[in-house]
Amino acid sequence: MSFSMRVVLGFLAPKLLRALVAVWLVTTVVFVVMRLSGDPVPLLLPPDAPTSEIMRVRRDLGLDRPLPVQYAVFAANILRGDFGRSIHFREPAFAVVRGYLSATVELGLTAFLLAALVAVPIGMFSAIRRNSLVDHAAMGLALIGQAAPTFFLGILFILVLSLKADLFPTGGRGDWTHLVLPALTLGAFAMASIARLTRSAVLDVLHADYIRTARAKGVAEWLVIAKHTLKNAALPIVTITGLQFGTLLGGAVVTETVFAWPGIGRLAIQSIYNRDYPVVQCAVFLSAIMFIVINFAIDAIYGLLDPRARPR
Amino acid sequence: MVHVTRRELLKGVAALGAAAALPDPRPRSADAQTTQKRELVVAQGGDVSKFDPHFSTSSNDIRVSFNIFDNLVSRHPDGKLHPGLATEWKLTAPTTWTFKLRSGVKYHNGDAFTSADAKFSIERTYDPNSKTMVATALTTIDRIEAPDTVTLIIHTKKPDPLLPARLAFYGGQIVPSKHVQAVGNDAFNAKPVGTGPVRFVSWVKDDKLVLEANPDYWGGRVDMDRLVVRAIPETAPRIAALLKGEVDIITQLPPDQGERVAGNASTRVAGALYAGLYVLAVNSKRPPLDNPLVKQALSLAIDREAIVKELWRGRGVVPNGPIARGDNHYDAKLAPLAYNPGAARDLLKKAGYKNEEIFIETTVAYVSNDKQMAEAIQGMWKDVGINVNVEVIEYSVRAQKNREKSFKGVFWSDPTSTLGDPDGMMWRLLGPGGPQDYWRHPRWDELGNAARFSVDEKFRAEAYREMTTIFLEHFPWLPVIQPYEDYGLQKHVEWTPNPNQQFEIRRFNFKFKRA
Repeated sequence: MSFSMRVVLGFLAPKLLRALVAVWLVTTVVFVVMRLSGDPVPLLLPPDAPTSEIMRVRRDLGLDRPLPVQYAVFAANILRGDFGRSIHFREPAFAVVRGYLSATVELGLTAFLLAALVAVPIGMFSAIRRNSLVDHAAMGLALIGQAAPTFFLGILFILVLSLKADLFPTGGRGDWTHLVLPALTLGAFAMASIARLTRSAVLDVLHADYIRTARAKGVAEWLVIAKHTLKNAALPIVTITGLQFGTLLGGAVVTETVFAWPGIGRLAIQSIYNRDYPVVQCAVFLSAIMFIVINFAIDAIYGLLDPRARPR
Repeated sequence: MVHVTRRELLKGVAALGAAAALPDPRPRSADAQTTQKRELVVAQGGDVSKFDPHFSTSSNDIRVSFNIFDNLVSRHPDGKLHPGLATEWKLTAPTTWTFKLRSGVKYHNGDAFTSADAKFSIERTYDPNSKTMVATALTTIDRIEAPDTVTLIIHTKKPDPLLPARLAFYGGQIVPSKHVQAVGNDAFNAKPVGTGPVRFVSWVKDDKLVLEANPDYWGGRVDMDRLVVRAIPETAPRIAALLKGEVDIITQLPPDQGERVAGNASTRVAGALYAGLYVLAVNSKRPPLDNPLVKQALSLAIDREAIVKELWRGRGVVPNGPIARGDNHYDAKLAPLAYNPGAARDLLKKAGYKNEEIFIETTVAYVSNDKQMAEAIQGMWKDVGINVNVEVIEYSVRAQKNREKSFKGVFWSDPTSTLGDPDGMMWRLLGPGGPQDYWRHPRWDELGNAARFSVDEKFRAEAYREMTTIFLEHFPWLPVIQPYEDYGLQKHVEWTPNPNQQFEIRRFNFKFKRA
C-alpha cells in the first residue's frame, strides 16, 4: 500500500464507518417510529370499511407480520437497493422520491447560491466598514431575516411581490420566475446567518496580530483584506455555509408547502401523514446520505484551507 | 370520507390576517369577464395519488377520476340521477335491475365500450384477487349477466332500491376490461384510460396533472382543450393564485375567505350545499353518554345559529335531524334543532348528571372549522354546567380510533350522503357493524334493515320518519351544521358544483364565457 493510500484510508475509514453507523441508526429509528405512530390502512379505505377488509389490506401489504420480520425484510431489501413500494402511490418508493429530487436540488441550490453570494460580501463589507450606515442596515435586515418565520415571509412575498406588484407567479414550478420567491424565502434564514457569521469572523481576524503586522509593514489595505484576512476567516464561513446547504436541501418543507413546490420535504411530511412507510424511509435514507456527503466535502475543504486540519 | 384533503399542513391564520389587511389587487377591466382561454386550471388542496378509480376513495383522487371515467349512472349537480354510460335502467324483478347501455361509446384508446366492460369493472371492485380499495362499495350484488353488448342484468342478493345510486358513486367508475387485463393494474394506474370527457396526458407529482379534452365524448366535447390540475396545499396562496388569475377554479374555499374572493372584480364564489352533515358523533357506550337525557341536553345546549353565523359567515344551514337536506326522505316540515340552554340544564338535573367529564376529540382542519367549532361548543356546554374537555388529535390518529372504535366521548365526523339517501348515510355509518356503531336500538335497527331492502318508497318514507323520531331521542350523532362547500371561480368560468365532492367538468355544468 502506498503512502498516500494509507493516508487517505486512515483519514476516511473511521469517518466512513461512523457514517454507516449513522445511516443505519437513522433508518432503524425511522422504521420503528413510523410503525409505532399509526397504521396506513384506515387512510386507504373508505371510512365505513369493516375490520375484515382492513385486515385483508394489512395482509396484502405485509403489515400483519411481526415487527422483527418486517424489519428483516426491510433491511435485506435495502441492501439490494430496494426501498419497497409506496403504499400511497402504488409505485416503487425510490421512483417516487426520485421524481421530487430535481425540484429539491433546483430550489436548494438556487437558495444556497443566492444566500452565499449575497451574504459573504455583505458580511465582509459590514466588518470592514464597521458601524457604518451600511453595516447597521445590513445587520438589521439580517436580524429580521433570521427572526421572521419562513411561513410568514413566504406569504408576505406572495402578497406583496406577486399579487400586488405582479412581478412573480404565486407558486408552482415553471421557468426561472417561479424560482425567485421560494428561493428568497428559503434562502433568507441562511443568508442572514451567513452574513452575521461572516461579519464576526472577519472582525475577529482584523484584530489579529498578523494583520497589524501586515499593516505596519505597509501592505496595501486591499491586499491585507484579500490575502491575510479572507484566508483566515474562511474556516468558520465554510462550516456554516456547508451546514446551511444541507438544511436548504432537506429542510424546505414550509417553503415548499407555501409555494406548492414539488420538493422532497413536502413529500416527506405528506408521507408521514399518510403513514407511507417506504417513502418516508427512502427519503430519510437519502437525506442522511446527503448530509454525510456534505460533511465529507466540508472536511475536505478544511484540509485545503487549513494545513493543521490535514491528516498526518 | 374526505381523506387528506381537508387537512391543511399549517393554518395560515396570521398570514390570512395580513392578506385581509392588504387592499385588493388592481381592478381588472370588464373584459376579464369573458375569455378566449382553451385551458382550464383547477387548484385543489392536495395532489392526486392514484388514477385507478378502484384504488382510492380520497376526494383529491375522485375529483379527477370522475372526469377521466364515467359511471353507468351519473349524479348531476341537481342531486338527481341521470343517464351515464347506461341510458336507462329499471327494476325488472325484486332482486333484478336491468340496465340499457349506451352504444357507440369509445375509450380513450379506441376500444369500444360494451356490457363486458361494465361487468368486468363492477366485478373487479369486489374480486378478492384484484385487491381494490372499494371492495365494500357494491357488495349487495350477487351476480351479473351481459346477454348482449348493450344490456346488463344485475342480480342483487336481496332487493336493493339504491343500486343505481351506488353505481353513481365511487367504485362505479367503468374501466376498459381488455386494456386493464392486457397492461396490468400498475400500468393502468400510471396511465389511465376511460371514457370520460378528459383523457390523461401527463402527471408530475405535487406539480401538475395535465389532461386533454376527449374530442369524441358521448356527452359532447367540453369547451376547452386542456384541463390542468394543480395542488396548492396552503389556503392563502391558493386564493392568491385565483385572485391573480393564475388558476380558474379553486376548491376548499374556507367560509371566512369568501368575501375576499367575492369582493374581487374578476372572481366569484360558487357553492353547493354539502350532501351530508357535520356532526359530533357520540360514543354512546361511555357514561354519561349512554343516557339519552344527557345527549338531549348536549344537543339543546349547542347554539347552532351562532355557529353558522359567526364561524361559517352564514355559509350553512342548521340541520333538523339525521337526514341531509336534498336527500331522499328529508322532511322539510321538521323544525331545525333547537337551542334552549334552560331546558338543557333541567334535562341534566333530571338525568342525574354528576359532573362527569365529557371529551370532545377534535382534529384540526379535518373538516373545516372543526377545532373552532369544538371550542365554541365547549363554551356553550360549560355554560349549562357540563364538565367538558377538548382534546386535539391528529388525522391519522382519528383514523385509527375510528377503526378501533375507541373514541372517548364525542368526535367530528362529516358523514357524506354517498347515495342521496339515509341508507347511504346514517344507516351506513350508525348501523350494526358500521364504523360508528356505538349505540343500538332494536326498533331503529329493525326499521333500518327493512328500509335497506325494500323497493317500496312509501314504506321507506315511513321507516325513515320513525327512525328520525327515535334518533332525536337518543342522538347517536349530534348534528351541528350542513355547510356549503365553496369554490372560488374566475367570472369567465361558468360552472355548477356537485354537492357530494364529485367534482365534474362536463358539458352540462361547465363552459367558458366567450366574448
